[in-house]
Amino acid sequence: MTIELKPDPSMIGGIAKVPLVRLPDPVALFRTRAERFRFLAGHSANLAPYLHFLAAICDAQARVAQDLGPPSPLEPAWIETARASRMPPIDRARLKPDLGRALDLLLKQVADIDMPAPSRAALEAVVAANASDRDWLLGNVLADQIPEDSVAPHMFVAAAVQVHAALLAATLDPEKLVPIRTGVCPACGGRPVASMVTENIGAEGARYASCACCQTLWNEVRVKCLCCGKNGKISHRSVEAEDAIIKAELCGDCGHWVKLMYQNRNATIEPVADDVASLGLDLKMRETEWTRGGFNPFLMGF
Amino acid sequence: MNIDLSRRGFLRLAGAGVAATSLGAMGFGDAQAAEEAHVRPFKLATTTETRNTCPYCSVACGVIMYSRGDAKAGDKAQILHIEGDADHPTNRGTLCPKGAALKDFVNAETRLTRPRYRAAGGTEWQDISWDDALTKIARALKDDRDANFVAQNEAGTTVNRWLTTGFLAASATTNETAWLTYKVVRSMGILGFDNQARV
Repeated sequence: MTIELKPDPSMIGGIAKVPLVRLPDPVALFRTRAERFRFLAGHSANLAPYLHFLAAICDAQARVAQDLGPPSPLEPAWIETARASRMPPIDRARLKPDLGRALDLLLKQVADIDMPAPSRAALEAVVAANASDRDWLLGNVLADQIPEDSVAPHMFVAAAVQVHAALLAATLDPEKLVPIRTGVCPACGGRPVASMVTENIGAEGARYASCACCQTLWNEVRVKCLCCGKNGKISHRSVEAEDAIIKAELCGDCGHWVKLMYQNRNATIEPVADDVASLGLDLKMRETEWTRGGFNPFLMGF
Repeated sequence: MNIDLSRRGFLRLAGAGVAATSLGAMGFGDAQAAEEAHVRPFKLATTTETRNTCPYCSVACGVIMYSRGDAKAGDKAQILHIEGDADHPTNRGTLCPKGAALKDFVNAETRLTRPRYRAAGGTEWQDISWDDALTKIARALKDDRDANFVAQNEAGTTVNRWLTTGFLAASATTNETAWLTYKVVRSMGILGFDNQARV
């Protein structure tokens, strides 16, 4: 008789494997994000107007998430098929018909927010958009491809898509998800806003990428490019300080960079809010040869 | 930029049509300009995170070494911090007290970075080249083996033992290095052979 011996680090207090994903709790998530935006606005006089505006958008997202309530979960058979073929169970290409309600609610919720004229014009255009224009807007957002000449209207649509996708992701069973590919959300196939080195019990020092669409956090190996998956030419850049909490992780193989946030050193870091508030890093990186690889509908064009 | 003609009406209403950043397009261009002015004098600092294996014992824990500068890009790199590698299957980010103190081991002023030699009976260490050091070690081994090698025991059985020299091997080696070490040591007849990996 042979006994198969396997190392079991859980015997010494750690755990053998960190969770693949942390699914969102949509209402709490958008509320926390709004609070973080407000906190960051208090620490950045330059960006405060934009951060306060986005805080109000996130408040609206939280209210929409509450009003919509949990959607009906995906068919178990569909989830099994996705799992077997290593595909994300949320098929964003098929979400469009369900998104109308979230978009209508969000447009209503953001109507009273104080905003500059260009934002107002974009919002009114989305409200007035015909079926074909709405379809076009939703299609772009669901494909993570926002045209650079019409960022503003897409921002409102993306906010609505985030709510719907997060609600749907929240219905998933984390055990049923499988890793797809580096830099691809296992729940919806979305792109990362940024990644965070976390310090949660059981996952100390593990990295989680934050999905720009469904808000799921998923585990990624550290020191690896989230755009191309290579790890041979990774280095980091930060503004001035070497021990910065937010750094650009750049890849010499594909020429892209994605923000890396050390949430283990500042537990209040929120990927989307801190991505916008660390605009200074984007501005400095824009002067270099590297291209931003993080995707955030609130921070396009860098 | 491929502008879809059927979207012209919508884009005009939305005030769109020109490539802009989110802040510019949403009407917060002043905020972006202020931040640009704020960060202009700042410089980007380069750091790296590099995977390696802790050199202490055979558990071979994964570590991540944080450095200032990028050695791969030709910078002079200096290690700032070392921590357990959460992705490593052996230690999942944990380290023992010795491993957790690796940074001080790497940056220690007393760290041995070149071969040194203290003559028998001497009190001073002196620098020695690798060639000279290896020649000296080989000479000492050869002399000892020639003097003390046991080819046969009292009963006349061939044993090929060399009992007066022992060998302690290091732990942070690959399987290939370990295999070669074993072959070299055993083929010389050394029996006193142990590995630091057993600690």
